Amino acid sequence: MVSTVRNPEAKQKDAQRALVVALTCQELFHLGGAEVSSSEPYAPGVAFPLLQAMQVVNERLLELNPEETLLFDVVLLAADCQQHQDRIIATTRHYGLDVSRFCFCSRDEFTHLLLRERTHLFLCTDARQVATASHTGVAAALLQPAPSRPTQQLRVLFCTDPADRPGTSQQVCQVAGLLGAMRSRLGVACGALSIILLTVQGGRESCGRALLTLRSWGLGVDEAYCLAGAPGGPALSLLAPHILFPDGSALQA
Amino acid sequence: MSLNNGQTLTNSAGQDSARNGSTSRASWEDARTVRKPSTPTRKPKSPNPENAITIALSARVLFNMEKEQQIYEQRGMEEYIRYQVEHETEPFSPGPAFSFVKALEAVNTQLRELYPNNEELFDVVLMTNNHANVGLRLINTINHHQLFIERFCMTGGNSPIGYLKAYHTNLYLSADPGKVLEALEEGIAAATMFTPEKMKEVSETQLRVAFDGDAVLFSDESEQIFKAHGLDKFFEHEKAHENKPLDHGPLKGFLEALGQLQKKFYSKGQRMDCPIRTYLVTARSAASSGTRALKTLRSWGLEIDEALFLAGAPKGPMLEKIRPHIFFDDQMFHVTGAAEAGMVACHVPYGIAQRVGQKKQLKDIEGPSAPK
Repeated sequence: MVSTVRNPEAKQKDAQRALVVALTCQELFHLGGAEVSSSEPYAPGVAFPLLQAMQVVNERLLELNPEETLLFDVVLLAADCQQHQDRIIATTRHYGLDVSRFCFCSRDEFTHLLLRERTHLFLCTDARQVATASHTGVAAALLQPAPSRPTQQLRVLFCTDPADRPGTSQQVCQVAGLLGAMRSRLGVACGALSIILLTVQGGRESCGRALLTLRSWGLGVDEAYCLAGAPGGPALSLLAPHILFPDGSALQA
Repeated sequence: MSLNNGQTLTNSAGQDSARNGSTSRASWEDARTVRKPSTPTRKPKSPNPENAITIALSARVLFNMEKEQQIYEQRGMEEYIRYQVEHETEPFSPGPAFSFVKALEAVNTQLRELYPNNEELFDVVLMTNNHANVGLRLINTINHHQLFIERFCMTGGNSPIGYLKAYHTNLYLSADPGKVLEALEEGIAAATMFTPEKMKEVSETQLRVAFDGDAVLFSDESEQIFKAHGLDKFFEHEKAHENKPLDHGPLKGFLEALGQLQKKFYSKGQRMDCPIRTYLVTARSAASSGTRALKTLRSWGLEIDEALFLAGAPKGPMLEKIRPHIFFDDQMFHVTGAAEAGMVACHVPYGIAQRVGQKKQLKDIEGPSAPK
């Protein structure tokens, strides 16, 4: 049973023109172990800094153009959280979060819901959920745990080494185009959004190809790192992205 | 697109795709120019950073980007990037570090012949503050000049120091004194490279590296005595402490790394014609204060091929005889002199000499906000 609730506190976006991002409730807030009866707001979860960074991007875009429609449109998906519904909504309002709508459903309706909400990008820390979403035809990327140095800047990383599974490049291409348009509107000097390319195994040829592919999809890159086989861990830890697109096979044309 | 040596990266129309947020999928066939396939060159694998001698260079020391630098300073970032992208297929011409890199590659080639599976090689890494939009032009330029640079960081304005540390950088060269200072403070050997007006020819087969002694290989402890108490006291002090090794300076580690590679050549019988040659070019004099310098090196187990004690004479003429690919000194006076003699000289901003006033005469000193 699916129920969708609009958030009256948030300004609704034009879903046709916005970049629709789906987050899970379980990752935006700490739901686990909370007493059902309590009315206290939940504590922030692992997705909280990401949402805040997306809000800053929206603010900057609106500063540049108050009529801007290409904004992040955040949908909060809550699978098997029916009993927490009111408290989830109340918590969202408590923090003043820019979440457009809530979708409450059961676990097996989850992926259907992603499609129904016309999600451009599903973000989650769980690689398997990301893979499932991708297979269903929704672009998905890994949500990274909050970096040790909190940053206001939304950092989006494209990693160009092939993942174990085939990519859904069509959807990634579309998201890339939307992100690219956002990035262009903000202008090079604006530090609210940074697009990062990381090539771990490949050398400059791989990295060059990836830069061109992303550009052909309409996405300019701000930072590029090419490791040619050096260990990726230190770089990833320094880069501290919020969002990581792990599937690089699409970028290796 | 095929991207073998010398080929240029472009996308289909040779220009930037329109960033109109179009959601139609551009097939990546469009992203490639159609080129006839050339013979693939088998590239050797890059060594593990822990085993290699990693030399990180900024874009402006590797290539000549003077014109673009001016555009950045006069017209700002957007214009600078626009210009770079517009000229993406035009390779930059070589910068002051270019001949140094070629010499490093010549050493690597010889090391690979002698030790096929060896990872103790030079690894040249591009470490630049530049925005990744300039990346394709840099990659095209590397391809054009057939340089073996497979690793790079284009930080888009962020500090490179974290990456220098994480990837075991043995030496960092930049045109930006601010970044060099930052690196030195983090314990990374670093120097600010200057471009001579007219570069003299250097060897293509033998890497030659020249070092000043005090405050470069050695600490600045003796220089402090000289500055505070004058030459006579300096001589007295050095004689009295002849057998006490000096403390190490910021470039001792790099000399050590060069020595390790030299030993690999010696074991294969190449001592007389070793492809790496090191020089000490110091204002100390052979008769007195020089002894302590040599004894210090010996106590460290380090060899230097030639020690030139100038007893205070200008270094330029001597360097012109030696023709090093690179020369390190802590005093701008000597760096300027070397550059005037046509040598690629690097300033190591370390020690007492930085606090006592110096003449800054060279043209390439700029503020830390410039992109690298």
